[in-house]
Amino acid sequence: MSSNKCKKAKKSEKGSFYKKSFVSSWLFAVPAIILMYLFIWRPTVMGFVWSLFKMKGYTPKFYIGIQNYVEVMRDTQFIPLFLNTLKYVLWSIIVGFLPPVLLAIIVNEMVYFKQKIMTFLYLPAIIPAIAVSLLWKQMYDPTEIGLLNIILAKFGMSPYQWLGDGNFTILWIVVSMTWKSFPGAMLLYYSALQGVNQELYEAATIDGAGLLKRAWYVTRPQIMGVLILNFVRQIIGVFQVMEQPLAMTGGGPDGASASLGYQLYKYGFVTQRVGHAMALGTIIFVVLIFMTIFYFRLNKKLEETL
Amino acid sequence: MKLKKILCVVLSLAICVSLVSCGNSNKGRTEDGRIAISTSGWPDPDSPNYPKALEREQGFEEANPDVDLVGDTWTFDLKTFYPKAESGTLPTIYRCNFTEIQRIIDGEYAADLTKALKKRGYDGKFSKMVEDVISRNGRIYSVPISTYILGLAINMDLFKEAGLVEADGTPKQPKDWYEMAEFAKQIKEKTGKDGFVMPTMNNAGGWIFTVIAWSFGAEFMKQDEDGSWIATFDSPECTEALQFIKDLKWKYGVFPQNTLIDNNGTAEYLATGRAAMMLTSGSIGNQMATYSINPNSLGMVAIPAGPKRYVTLLGGDTRAVREDATEEQIDACLRFLEYTGNGYDIDEPGKQALRDTMEQSKARGAIIGIKSLSPWNEESPKQKFQNELIEENANISPNNVRLYNEFLNDTTVEVQPEEPICAQDLYGILDNCIQKVLGDKNADCAALLKKANTDFQTNFLNNY
Repeated sequence: MSSNKCKKAKKSEKGSFYKKSFVSSWLFAVPAIILMYLFIWRPTVMGFVWSLFKMKGYTPKFYIGIQNYVEVMRDTQFIPLFLNTLKYVLWSIIVGFLPPVLLAIIVNEMVYFKQKIMTFLYLPAIIPAIAVSLLWKQMYDPTEIGLLNIILAKFGMSPYQWLGDGNFTILWIVVSMTWKSFPGAMLLYYSALQGVNQELYEAATIDGAGLLKRAWYVTRPQIMGVLILNFVRQIIGVFQVMEQPLAMTGGGPDGASASLGYQLYKYGFVTQRVGHAMALGTIIFVVLIFMTIFYFRLNKKLEETL
Repeated sequence: MKLKKILCVVLSLAICVSLVSCGNSNKGRTEDGRIAISTSGWPDPDSPNYPKALEREQGFEEANPDVDLVGDTWTFDLKTFYPKAESGTLPTIYRCNFTEIQRIIDGEYAADLTKALKKRGYDGKFSKMVEDVISRNGRIYSVPISTYILGLAINMDLFKEAGLVEADGTPKQPKDWYEMAEFAKQIKEKTGKDGFVMPTMNNAGGWIFTVIAWSFGAEFMKQDEDGSWIATFDSPECTEALQFIKDLKWKYGVFPQNTLIDNNGTAEYLATGRAAMMLTSGSIGNQMATYSINPNSLGMVAIPAGPKRYVTLLGGDTRAVREDATEEQIDACLRFLEYTGNGYDIDEPGKQALRDTMEQSKARGAIIGIKSLSPWNEESPKQKFQNELIEENANISPNNVRLYNEFLNDTTVEVQPEEPICAQDLYGILDNCIQKVLGDKNADCAALLKKANTDFQTNFLNNY
């Protein structure tokens, strides 16, 4: 009997502990939930709702169904903007995906000055994105005073248009974006590399594997999960590109660097087509939500396999 | 644990309270019963202009004891305007420019001032052209503070080097666009610097291009009898105007290599002597303060004429009152404008306010001497005083800007406001055309404009 009481008492103590813990967990989460509701969930839902209305400024006037979506997608610029956005993604994969991996491997292999090099390499990440864009805009100056053209001149070459060359404007913007973002990605890969069992490297070295073979046969399979996740995250991030074309080219030349994100900004803040902005925002959201679902599924699958 | 919980609850409540208290509904009066108004463009407390602003506030409240004035450091910017307007945090009276005022009126963010203006005796005192810009359906929604017309700003050092200055120091006036191109070519040959620069991005290129195209006889849109709008700039006249821009780069070789230049960029080209001419308003004198240039390096002349029209663009600066302002707040705002020397008439405090502003401009390094167009009719005492003040404080040789100052009174020039609807959308589309012709010497101007015309019709006018 006494043992039963004891069990009950223990159970009730445990229950109250869980209750207390449950309440305090929620209390801790409340500020974040409020902020997420106000700055993420509510705007997202309101954006969708307003996309179905004729807007006057930021005030919904009357319901118009999918009219805003039809107008946005019928816009003669919609397809070129969508393709430009895909170009950003493509170039960012070509230019921006491998450098942080390679740098992380190089730093990981270093014996001396590792921390100093890491600090030095991380510097671009602490500069605000707009400042980076303006810095690179100056470097890309198409006249003789642009830094990159000064370098070209040293080799006897004539000044190049850089951002003014519509065929490659997106590439040059992506280079500046990569310079800003590679340290963060590099750190991620570096931490993954730190988790790789050193004995594998030792065994590979004994078997006669050099740096490249070690990277391919040992490092690559070990960090594949992080690589794939970062790949998807990069696609999601670059798909929303807005501030770089805004600060560096204004979407030019001849719309060559305008993205869907930049068009959204123009709808919302320049030409005051709030309904269109909301509709385009929802379209981008839908595309990204599919990518995010894919990302989470992939993440789960990788966690299961690791 | 307990402390953490308490902290958590307090933090949550603090966030809720602060968010609930966000926004600001206009109550109209302070707790002590005075009329509450706020004004935009107030200097920061660490600004050298702050003491003068405080002095002005005290003076105004002494002269108007029924009003409580609060300064708001926010200055007009499209990116922040709409969020402020929607959250109810706009100052009671705020500055905006002619380019935006129609959209602000359409968005119902500006109060109808017609009755209050009439009550304070402003009937018939606005310049007719300006009244059209600040009105909608016969109702007036803002008070113009200054107006300008586009002219041709020049770098006097390059003009002198190229021998384009008269014996008395007056820069030579290019009569038309083609003479301007010849001047630019002469400058390029003699100095190696670019003769002409214009913005090409952020809608500024399109804005300047519309004026050039008007002078070639182009029209951008017309309204049909049924009220719908039709884009009309796929015309030979507009093509000729775009061809002229293209020629500046590829035939005359007088345009910078850079094809992506914003408004600040053009001023920088002129100030640093990398380009000799640009189309701009008289406010270029203020803009030059950023570059600390010798005032006499700047000159300004009239806009060159086109083959079909002698026309320039009207722009300006205006003050609107937030839409939910009470009648007494509107009246208090108008009293504040008059007190600060921004009304039709001017009294001693108003004169002092203008003198203070002039001193601040000079201290900042602005170039003084370029006059502006009057937003009022010709008899405005305020405008007369302002022009006298400019003459007294001029830090530039009068001959540098004489031709532009005379141009302000030239009755042969047509002064035209911006396109009536979707102007910013139009400028964006024209920016693309300009960038294309400056970047590609084989660009087909007619084809570009045909596509631009279709885009403008499909994407904007059909949805208007």
